[in-house]
This record gives sequence, structure tokens and C-alpha cells, in this order.
Amino acid sequence: MLLVLAILGQSLLQSAFDVPALRTGATVFVAVCVQALPFLVLGVLLSGAIAAFVPARVLRRVLPRSESAAVGVAGLSGVVLAGCECASVPVARRLIGQGVAPAAALTFLLAAPAVNPVVIVSTAVAFPGEPGMVLARFVASLATAMVMGWLWIRWGKLEWIAEQALRRLPEVEGRDRWRVFTETARADLVDAGGFLVLGALVSAALGVLVPGEWFGALADQIVLGILVMAVLAVVLSLCSEADAFVAASLSALPLLPRLVFLVVGPAVDAKLFALQAGTFGRSFALRFAPATFVVAICCAVVAGLLFLGGAR
Amino acid sequence: MRRETQNVLLLLLGGALLKIAVTGDYLRYVKPAHRPWLLAAGAVIVLLGAVAMIRDIRAARQPTTVHEHHHPARSAWLLMVPVLAVFLVAPPALGSDSVTRARGGTAAPAGSGTSFPPLPPGAVVALRLTDFVSRAGWDEAGSLNGRTVSLTGFLVHSEQGTLLARMVIGCCAADGFPVRVQLRGEQADGLPADTWVEVTGQVVPDVNTAASGGYTPAFTVRTLRQVPEPPDPYEY
Repeated sequence: MLLVLAILGQSLLQSAFDVPALRTGATVFVAVCVQALPFLVLGVLLSGAIAAFVPARVLRRVLPRSESAAVGVAGLSGVVLAGCECASVPVARRLIGQGVAPAAALTFLLAAPAVNPVVIVSTAVAFPGEPGMVLARFVASLATAMVMGWLWIRWGKLEWIAEQALRRLPEVEGRDRWRVFTETARADLVDAGGFLVLGALVSAALGVLVPGEWFGALADQIVLGILVMAVLAVVLSLCSEADAFVAASLSALPLLPRLVFLVVGPAVDAKLFALQAGTFGRSFALRFAPATFVVAICCAVVAGLLFLGGAR
Repeated sequence: MRRETQNVLLLLLGGALLKIAVTGDYLRYVKPAHRPWLLAAGAVIVLLGAVAMIRDIRAARQPTTVHEHHHPARSAWLLMVPVLAVFLVAPPALGSDSVTRARGGTAAPAGSGTSFPPLPPGAVVALRLTDFVSRAGWDEAGSLNGRTVSLTGFLVHSEQGTLLARMVIGCCAADGFPVRVQLRGEQADGLPADTWVEVTGQVVPDVNTAASGGYTPAFTVRTLRQVPEPPDPYEY
């Protein structure tokens, strides 16, 4: 009976997906999920490992006591975790849960996907003969992460973050550690996975709906180009390791809007917003994401003017 | 959502990843280099679900253990969507629809304007579409002129006429962009869009038919034959 239903459903679904736009959207949706899930799994494993094997006092000893200095360390440590943005959300949440200052954890959240070696290398490969692009991206992304950390120290409020993200897990010993490890990873995966799917759905839908002409007509209007590329970075939700190739392919545009695209994308995009809202709560995401968006654009423009020699 | 349901969902989700990684369907969505990642991630997801199930069954036998409180996670139901998409719909690789709605154009290859290595000898040279387009557009030595090459791609009917196209991806299908060649000759005009063909013929020198949609060289078709869709439909 079930089998018959499944077969009937399958043929119905497949005929429904015969509309070309819907088919393209479905392919993009599955592609975003398939591409991001391994990184999310890596992230929840790290999160579980931190919860089970790294006691809060060790983290406190490693990080500087001053919050501002901790933000700097967190930004630079983002260089080590070679992953997409999906991996860093559960890790940042666990760091907060283990008593790391939220400002430092949030800086890590923004820095890790944008300044790691894989991203730097792929940017260099995508923009041969433009070393300024690599440098500008690195500096602008790191600056975005640190500025957001310092802004959080100044204005951030702990009550914006959902209570469940702050809950500290009790410290455990011996065999119980494995139980905490697998249970934390499992719970994080179930929590974050749904929001990853939501983000992928939104980005696939918008990716199909956004008209292609947006890209072509912007070559002369630098300010509009910057804004549109920033919005597109949010909408398309590309993996931070691949967005450089997309930016490189938009050769009609000057370099500065493309740099903005590369700096905004890993810091804030549709799937990241969904993940943040699910992990840290809606009232956090509604404040954090727009602020990141503005800061990222400013940092990218400044870095572009410094390293690319103006808006070319 | 109940914990038991979550575990079943995890098994399904991990199973979906493993399925596409094993059958090769993953090539429709991501680069070949992702395969070990998919296998590992699928295995970890299945394991996390299975371990939790086994633990629950054991715990149920010992009524003394205290059950932890779990907050309901309604968002987890969304995990069903990719599972259903993979098992029931199995979306195809990007095709002609993506070419017609594509953004941007073919980027200048590394060190554009410089000379390319000479083409290998032979009556017919098989080239990737990417290589063909970059040589046609940016090779100052004109290494393609007068040479017969064979190209493989799918057909697109657009206002520029019939095109042979291929999607290029950097990481996954979400970042795909097309490379296009305009086909001269009527052999391809009657075939439906998305038909995979192998054509042989020669480049028409110095023709760029679509300045706005990226560089599109023209190609005189000598022979055309239909081929099955290759297992890896993208170029990189």
C-alpha cells in the first residue's frame, strides 16, 4: 500500500516538477543542501567535541581576559577552521555555552568562513593576476568580524540571545563524555539542519526569481552596483569556497562591487540568517544580520579603496 | 517533534547522502571532489541517529534512568524536504533553463591575451567547451582556426539561435554559469532542447554573437550525433 502510494506520489511529483523553473530551483536547492550538509556535520562534531572534551576553564585560560583582546584572538583563530559558514554556527553557539564571551564567539562565527586558507586559495585561483583582491578580501572580512565583535561589547545585550543557546552543559568525566559528545552533536544537527534546509529553500527560490539583467546593466553605476551585489550575496547563499568563481565570472562589473559580494556573502546570507535565527533566536538574528550587512559593505569598500586602488 | 522521529529522520537524511554518493547522482549537484565528504557526512548522520536509537532502547529496559527534557524542534521537520527531493524527485542536472536565465558571461581565462599551448595533433581534436570558448575568444595566435574539433554539450534554443552549452560549476550547482557556442548549420535546429550531442566542425573566426550575454563564439557543424548524458554533466 505504502509502496503504491510512493510510486503514485513519485510520478505526480515528477510531472509537477516538469516546469523548467521549478526543476532548476529544485536542483539548486538539493545542491545547496548537499554541499552544505558535510560542513554542518563537521560543525556539530566540533561543537560536540568542545562540549564533551574542552572544559570551560581551559577555554577561559586560552583566551585573553580582556574582551576586546579576546575578539582579536577569535578573529585570527578563524584562519584555522577550514569550513563553510554552516560549520561555524554550531561551534560559536557551543563556545558561548562554554562561557566564552559572546563577542569573541561571534567574531569567530564571522571570521571562520571568510578568512580560512581554502577560501584564500580559491580567491587567488579565481582572480589570477589580481593579488590585491585576495588581500582586500582577507582584510575586509577580518575587519568585519572584529568590528562586529567590538560593536557587540559596546551595545550587545545578552538577553537577545535565546536562552537555549546559553545553556551550559554540565562537565562530565570518563565514559559519559562520549554520551555528551554524540548527544550534543545529534541535537545540534537536528536543530540546525532544519534551518539550513529553510535557508536553502529561500535561496533556491530567489536565485531562480532574480532576473539575470540585474547583473548586466550595473557596470557603470558603482554605488548601485555595490548595493545590488551585496543583496545578491545575501540572496544566493553561495558557499564561501566557491563564491570567488562566481564573482570572477561577472567580468562586466568593476572589481569593487565584486569584492563587496565576496565580503558580504560569508558574513550574512539567507541560509546563514536562517541558521542564526534557529540557533541564537530570532531577536538576535534580526539585529545581528542587518548590522553585519552594513559593517561588511563598509569594510569592503574601505579595503577596496585601499588595496584595489579605487573603484575599478 | 518526538526524539524517535528525529532519529528516523537522521537515518533517512544520512541515507539520502549516502545514496547519491554511491550511485553517482551527486555529480548533478556538486563537484566530484565532494564525494568523500558526502560519504563521511552521510555515515556520521546515520551513526548519530543509530547510536541515539540504541541508547534509547537500552534506557527503556532500565526504568531507573531519568529521561532528559527535550525541547520540541518543529524546524526539524524541514529535514524531510531534501530527503523527499532526493528519493522521489531526484532533480536533474542544470540544463537549458539555466543557460537562458544565466547571469554574467564567460570570464576571461587566466592570463587572457597571452598565447595558449598549441593544440595536440590529429584530424579531430576533442576539447572541453570551456577550453574551446577561451581559445576562440582570447587566443591571439588563433590556434583554433582551420582545425576540426569535437565538442560535447546539450542544446539550447535561444534568440541567438541554437546553442551548444555546458554548465561550469565552482563548488555546487548553485554557483553554476554557462559556456555557450552558437551552432551554424541546420542539423541541430530540429532536436529538442537539453538533448546531449557531440558535434565536430570548425570555429568561425572572430565572431562574437552575444556581447551582452558573455562571449559566444560561432561554430560550423560538420557532423552531429546524439550521445547519452555523461555521468558528470558539468565542467570545472
